[in-house]
Amino acid sequence: MDVKQMKEEAIKAIEAAETLEQLEELRLEYLSKKGKIQALMMMMKDLTPEEKPKFGQIVNETKQAVTELLESKVEELKKAGLNAQLEKEKIDLTLDAYTPRIGSLHPLTLVQRELEDVFIGMGYNVAEGPEVELDEYNFTRANTPEGHPARDMQDTFYIDVNHLLRSQTTAIQMRELEKQANSLPIKVVCPGKVYRRDDDDATHSHQFMQCEGLVIGENITVADLKGTLELMIKELFKKDAKIRFRPSYFPFTEPSFEVDMTCHVCGGKGCPTCKGTGWIEILGSGMVHPNVLEMAGIDSKKYTGFAFGVGLERLAMLKYGITDIRDLYTNDVRFLSGFKK
Amino acid sequence: MLLSLNWLSNFVDISDLTNDEIKEKLVKAGFEVESEEHLGLGTNLIVGKVIECHDHPDSDHLHVTKVDIGKEVLDIVCGAPNCREGLKVIVAQVGAKLPGGEIKAGVIRGQSSNGMLCSLKELNITEEMLAEDSPSRNGIEELDDTFEIGETDILSKLGLEDTIYDISIYANRPDCLGVFNMCREVAAILDKPIRLPEYEGAAEIGKESSLKIVSESANCTHFLGKVVNNVTIKESPKWMKDHLRANGVKAINNLVDISNYVMLETGQPLHFYDLRTNPNREITIKDDLSGKYMALDGIEYEIEKGDLMITSNNEPIGIAGIMGGENTKILEDTTGLIIEAALFDHAQIRRTANRLGLQTEAAARFAKGLEPLSQNKAMDRAVQLLIELADAKDFEKTVEYGKVDYKPYEIEETVEHLNALIGKEYTVDEAVRVMERLQFKVRKEGNKFYTEIPSSRASDLKIREDIDEEIVRLTDFDSLVSTLPQMPQTVGALTPVQSARRIIRNLFTDNGMNETYSYTLVSQKHVDEACMPLGEAIALQSPLSEERKYVRNSLMNSMIESLAYNVAHGNQNVNLFEISTVYAKEKEGERVGIILSGNFSESKALHNKVEADFYVLKGLVYEMLESLGYHKERINLTENDLDTVHFHPYQSCVLKIGDKTIAILGKMHPNYISDIKIAGAYYAEIALNELMEIAPQKVKAPVINRYPSVSRDLSLLVDDETTAASIIKAIKKSGGKMVKSVEVFDIYKGEHIAEGKKSISFTIVYESLEATLTAEEVNKLHTKVVEELNRMFNANQR
Repeated sequence: MDVKQMKEEAIKAIEAAETLEQLEELRLEYLSKKGKIQALMMMMKDLTPEEKPKFGQIVNETKQAVTELLESKVEELKKAGLNAQLEKEKIDLTLDAYTPRIGSLHPLTLVQRELEDVFIGMGYNVAEGPEVELDEYNFTRANTPEGHPARDMQDTFYIDVNHLLRSQTTAIQMRELEKQANSLPIKVVCPGKVYRRDDDDATHSHQFMQCEGLVIGENITVADLKGTLELMIKELFKKDAKIRFRPSYFPFTEPSFEVDMTCHVCGGKGCPTCKGTGWIEILGSGMVHPNVLEMAGIDSKKYTGFAFGVGLERLAMLKYGITDIRDLYTNDVRFLSGFKK
Repeated sequence: MLLSLNWLSNFVDISDLTNDEIKEKLVKAGFEVESEEHLGLGTNLIVGKVIECHDHPDSDHLHVTKVDIGKEVLDIVCGAPNCREGLKVIVAQVGAKLPGGEIKAGVIRGQSSNGMLCSLKELNITEEMLAEDSPSRNGIEELDDTFEIGETDILSKLGLEDTIYDISIYANRPDCLGVFNMCREVAAILDKPIRLPEYEGAAEIGKESSLKIVSESANCTHFLGKVVNNVTIKESPKWMKDHLRANGVKAINNLVDISNYVMLETGQPLHFYDLRTNPNREITIKDDLSGKYMALDGIEYEIEKGDLMITSNNEPIGIAGIMGGENTKILEDTTGLIIEAALFDHAQIRRTANRLGLQTEAAARFAKGLEPLSQNKAMDRAVQLLIELADAKDFEKTVEYGKVDYKPYEIEETVEHLNALIGKEYTVDEAVRVMERLQFKVRKEGNKFYTEIPSSRASDLKIREDIDEEIVRLTDFDSLVSTLPQMPQTVGALTPVQSARRIIRNLFTDNGMNETYSYTLVSQKHVDEACMPLGEAIALQSPLSEERKYVRNSLMNSMIESLAYNVAHGNQNVNLFEISTVYAKEKEGERVGIILSGNFSESKALHNKVEADFYVLKGLVYEMLESLGYHKERINLTENDLDTVHFHPYQSCVLKIGDKTIAILGKMHPNYISDIKIAGAYYAEIALNELMEIAPQKVKAPVINRYPSVSRDLSLLVDDETTAASIIKAIKKSGGKMVKSVEVFDIYKGEHIAEGKKSISFTIVYESLEATLTAEEVNKLHTKVVEELNRMFNANQR
């Protein structure tokens, strides 16, 4: 059989094959031990020594050509087959996704964490104290002795003559002042639950949370307080906000200020959130009263400091647009689940 | 504190300022105007005269009138009974805006009506503010002849045009509860001159007095009394009635009005007794009485020991500082008075007023504290006004119990200290100028300045920082720069327990749970039915309600409440946790609570779910402990011998580390949660404070074995009672260190298994860190393990 003719037949057949099975048959027909090309090789023994090399070369070339073509055709068909398979696996991508169940941190935790992290970043520590507190730390040390009119400002839950549920996290500050009187400076934030004899409604809660901050050192000024608070608000609301001080009164600071920030919703232009004023009342603050320092054993001639206190519910309500404080304590999972981390 | 701008204008010229400008300045100086009221309200008002008045043909009470308003004659239908011909009236013309709405032209039962004849009640004046004989009570207002037809300046002429601020007063400024001091403050804030009446010393008149005053109570330390033998009772002048009305006080007669007026002016409550009711001329203050007493509002109050009472001849004549008595009050025929100006303890007045529910203007002022010279000032002013407005004559000398000796003192401050505290650059002259605006006597010496503090500010201004606050308040403060404290670097960090809380919160929320915050104050049932109660619960002295009477000593019932709320509101698959302190007598603890019900995780898309059960709960607790550095090997689960009332007796246990009880966990007892419509709930309470006392392990890198491990499965038939843990323990013991891990992969009871037995299957993984184990070595070891198990548990290998 003419080698050239066989090669052409083989190529034609391979190119015409449509399935892997057909190709396998062709492989057996031409390339197996009993195949046509092997049969040609068998013919070599009948040739002259002069003819042998040339014929061998032709057969080998033929074998190589057929093999390569076959292999490439196999690859081609496999690829086409896989593509066909993949096409069959086409799915509707618009169907609902699988959603792993993600829990939620309570909004008060979120706000507290943010505050803590801002201040930890500035080198503050986080201090805590008992909720069942001594009158001494809640009031007396805070420059609010028995009979002081400011005691009337807060209706307090008393347990006995000396014990109460703390009405302000100022009590933690008073403990920190005493604890750290001999290891100044002090830089702490004091988050915690507090309690007052208020009937619960949309804006009042007998239980709520505060976070106070306290810095005691040499040469601390009101300007330092302002700078610190501006930084805090910028971090919390992720916006540059101006703040303004309004004179106020707290027994444990002198001078005392209410602090307003430019409304985070309208940026100060006036909107329903800020009742058109452009300002949002955010916290109380002031320079620590010398009496408070002296009671804790700190020389008020040498050291000064500032303190501030913010309501966590108020922050959470402002930040997340919560309109009823009771929602924070009802624990409805439909509400809670809105606060993914 | 109510402040009428008309009243303020008597002393301070505010004509160049708008309402908003005044309010803005007040706020910046620490006086917030909380709300603002307008006394009379109404636009498009005009004086008219009723020239015709007929009964309406189709009504039994309406009148059809013609009203002359000068420029035209209007047809107006009016329902007032006092409407009649010849009357001068207030006409609200069509388009007038009144508090009740806008006046429109209309037809009333066939008669056209182009306006309205007004009662003062329709112009924002409340019934209580009207005089007893005011025609506006039952009809339209009747104007006198000083009003001309066509005149429009009606409200102002009636003294009804006024703006009244409600200003919030901080606890350190009780002085501003008096109009004089408030106006002085406003003048300082606005930087304007002020002219106040001069009255000091006016009471230093009169003949020798026979009045005797004694206080038997430590809560009354100063009491001025003065007899006025001759007064003429009559109507107060219009200006006084206007000011009283603006402050919400009803005018009655000149005597009663003066006592109220002086209180408003000075902040010192006064009381006038009818002289006839005190023939002995004797007043004694007692605080040891009890019984019923009728105050001048005609109501009987229950007096208790401790309440301050004014008595005469051993009979009460008034509730001190709160309200006078019915038996001694000023009557229409009163001709003589005893004036009382006294100091009563603010806390006691507050207690009594709160208990009696009698929150009078007087009580409020006593409760907030008075300045040292308060009684003397008020007595002076009262005497001055009695002479002026009640023809008072025949005074006796003021009788004084106790003594007030106020000497003004000086506070020294330097601008260096001021500027160091504030962070601004004030000059001494700026500082002095502020003191002068406040009408303080001030003198400067170089950079020092000395401020003399008057009686009215004595309770507030004591140290140099108080002076600094005055300067800050009254100067521009918006320009203050922002700086950060200059101080040594400190490292901020969380404490171990603060970090632990964060780890726990992250772990549980990562696993799909919601964090809750519930109330600390709970009911008696809550603390009686506590889970691992910390101790005897703390009770409040005066709770708001029975529901909020105790400080909780465990978290369980709060968490059950949260679950129940959610179930009741249709929320399924509720998985909650909370971290909170709990309290008991002399004790404080911190707890973590976990409550699970329904599916713990669920994916409808993948058709799979994990139902909450004991093992899910246990897994969460173990993972929490693991995350905090307490490995499984250290944990002992022991029989629940603490609480089988709230927990399922066979699906709950106590978790210990060493001997320390750390947690209780398990299925809730069906009886205890039978009110909640759920199949079951699982609860764990973990004593975080106890846990944190135990040292956690340090993190150590695991060793990866370079040699392959071999696993063998094993099924045993054992008694149902036998726990997996006991078998695993035995496998590890007999297999020694070559047992890398043992895991249960199947438990089977039922068909082909005898009653009281179970089949339990394990995968044991063997390994050696030194060499590859041969099949023979593993077989030998495994056979040893199996034989040991057979011996120990009477087990049959299946």
